[in-house]
Amino acid sequence: MSNNGNDIKGKMREFVKNNFLYSSEIEDISDIDSFIDRGIIDSTGVLELIDFIEETFGISIENDEVVPENLDSFQNIERFVRSKL
Amino acid sequence: MEFNKNVLYMNSENEVERIIGFIRNNVVERKKEGLVIGLSGGIDSALVSALCVRALGKEKVFGLVLPEKESNPVSRDYAEIHAKALGIRYEVNEITRELEAFGAYEKRDSIIMDLYPEYLPDKHRIKITLPGNILEKDGLNFFSLTIDDGKKVLFFERLKKHQINGIFAATDLKQRTRMMHLYYNAERMNRLVCGTTNRPETLQGYFVKCGDGGVDMEPIAHLYKTQVYQLSRHLGIPPEIIDRQPSPDTFNSQVGDEEFFFRMPYDKVDMFLYAWEHGIDMEEICNVMDLSKSQVERVLRDLTSKFRSTKHLRELPPSLLACR
Repeated sequence: MSNNGNDIKGKMREFVKNNFLYSSEIEDISDIDSFIDRGIIDSTGVLELIDFIEETFGISIENDEVVPENLDSFQNIERFVRSKL
Repeated sequence: MEFNKNVLYMNSENEVERIIGFIRNNVVERKKEGLVIGLSGGIDSALVSALCVRALGKEKVFGLVLPEKESNPVSRDYAEIHAKALGIRYEVNEITRELEAFGAYEKRDSIIMDLYPEYLPDKHRIKITLPGNILEKDGLNFFSLTIDDGKKVLFFERLKKHQINGIFAATDLKQRTRMMHLYYNAERMNRLVCGTTNRPETLQGYFVKCGDGGVDMEPIAHLYKTQVYQLSRHLGIPPEIIDRQPSPDTFNSQVGDEEFFFRMPYDKVDMFLYAWEHGIDMEEICNVMDLSKSQVERVLRDLTSKFRSTKHLRELPPSLLACR
């Protein structure tokens, strides 16, 4: 797995685009936009996000880490994943 | 818009009359001979059946009690007590065999056994829960499975998307099977099926499409749970039904609505829902409910997310049909 910050965000953008968006709206979503506030991800979407992050980056996400500050934006995910690598 | 701790209080008799009028109009306009209602032993169906009897008379209300092997036995007892008190005709039909024939328990249990091979469906109990009270701790929604043997917890794990989807698809068959019974009887009797979904359930999508959401009318979908309690006391619903913990009664290990879906008590759900619907200012919500800004923000975020993601449940199926 890579420690490159661009890789983490790039992989996440591709994942969100392919699984939650049905148009090329991904460019409209900034690194700090909340997925939940933007209506991109709902409760089962969070589960999909968790599965993807754990499998792709080889980390384990504990229950008390399933919080918006870790998972609710590209920037938050990058920071969280880096802290676990 | 006024917002205070008593904002949900209504004039009970006026509201009862309004709902009765609604029920009568729907039955008359659709030229039906009465109503069929599922009696769960819970407060919502108790209130609705009492309102239906007030609206149409006991002869025009038929109750169906539809337990299965994992239902709380108290549910059936309370449903029958209430039906007898109302003087309505009712039937008790166990739906376990139909669920077994469809493979509902088997499909669910195979998912659980993949997670915990030692799972024994006849000896162990299961429940699904969300993370704890959202007011106490922030956290995104995810479902966890708990297995116990009646004495201790044997297994607890967060579920993956395919697992929770599979479990819910199987357990939602319970509500959908009940819908079949309700409509079979409604059709043979030329009656309407009366729903029992309340306002927080409706707006947050806490019902099963074509299950308990598959009905002909919803006389209490506008009522907050607090108001369901108020009208229930006004109409003399038995205290044991009123005092019972609200629950989906879907799993054999008892779990309340708070643990399973709302992540906070109903009185808080109602106040937040009211505030959210009426655009109440953040500062006012904090003051009236004695909560911090971060607590209020996370609840409103959760409400909005649930409303948005369940929008399709409240709509007719989309089509290209243009209506006149």
